[in-house]
Amino acid sequence: MSASPSVRTRMLSLLRSQWLLLSVIGLYLWAFHKAPERALEALSVSGRTFGSVILIILSVFGLMGLLQVWISREKVAALLGKEGGWKALVIAAASGTILIGPAYIIFPLLQSIKAQGARWAVITAVLAAYAVKIPMIPLEVQFLGWSFSLSRSLLTILSAIPIGLLVEAIMEWRPSPGGKTLR
Amino acid sequence: MSAVGLTYLTLILIAYGVSSCSSKEKTQRSLKIAGLSLWRLLPLLAAVFGLVGLFQVFLPPELIEKTLGESSGVASLLLGGGMGAVAIGPPAAAFPLAGTLLSAGAWPPAIAAFIVSWVSVGVVTLPFEAGVFGMRYALVRNGIAFGAALLIGLLMGLVL
Repeated sequence: MSASPSVRTRMLSLLRSQWLLLSVIGLYLWAFHKAPERALEALSVSGRTFGSVILIILSVFGLMGLLQVWISREKVAALLGKEGGWKALVIAAASGTILIGPAYIIFPLLQSIKAQGARWAVITAVLAAYAVKIPMIPLEVQFLGWSFSLSRSLLTILSAIPIGLLVEAIMEWRPSPGGKTLR
Repeated sequence: MSAVGLTYLTLILIAYGVSSCSSKEKTQRSLKIAGLSLWRLLPLLAAVFGLVGLFQVFLPPELIEKTLGESSGVASLLLGGGMGAVAIGPPAAAFPLAGTLLSAGAWPPAIAAFIVSWVSVGVVTLPFEAGVFGMRYALVRNGIAFGAALLIGLLMGLVL
């Protein structure tokens, strides 16, 4: 009862939003208690790893800022809702690789695209291609190497349209006795 | 300080230069978005890089080899894909972890599945996705995306 409700809710929301950082800090405290030398080594490995990619991280965020302002989400949405057929699918896969943002921004955006008449395949292809981030490729290369990053990106982009069509087929398949499909 | 990083940063700075020539206002907005999203992500990045150090020093490579290594085959693929499906966060956080696991002896297909499902499968965001598109779509899409992540991982094994 000592803490006022507002303090308590703020602590709770801090716990919920930063649980990963808090648990990593906890792990370090435990590590420093158990094996200080190795904990220090872990900390220096972390620092060195971060130092080796700091420029790339800064660049990635710089590019994301530019992309978000110059390629407006609304324009992409309008384009995707208007186009049909293969063109829409290709644009969807391409825009998935440059659209950036957390789920709570992307899902409502896709919802508006859907409302403008886009197919399930288009929505799904955007989300599938979303696993490739063109601005982040240098970061992936730094950690995983060229051959890994390029083949993973290529395979992901190539699979985006088939995944879209497959999900669409399942979404529109309804075992009804009379007709074949209904939309 | 890597050559890749310097080159990339130079290119971005040039892009900002070009951008500011055509619109000061848009460039300032870009810079603000960049700074804000980096600032918001900072705690997560700190946590992930902290984890990378802990993994490298405290996780025995034999353990990673045993759970995520090639010898475990399908199990390691499923584990990689499953870890990615449960995790949330931007791919910027997935790459350092994936790199650490890979250099400790994990099987590349399992790590590829981990990255792809990290971004395209969201167990945590599933209720949100269902709220927007309906439960049927959310389940179908995440299921197929998970399968695709495993398949992409396996294909990576053939390519690499």
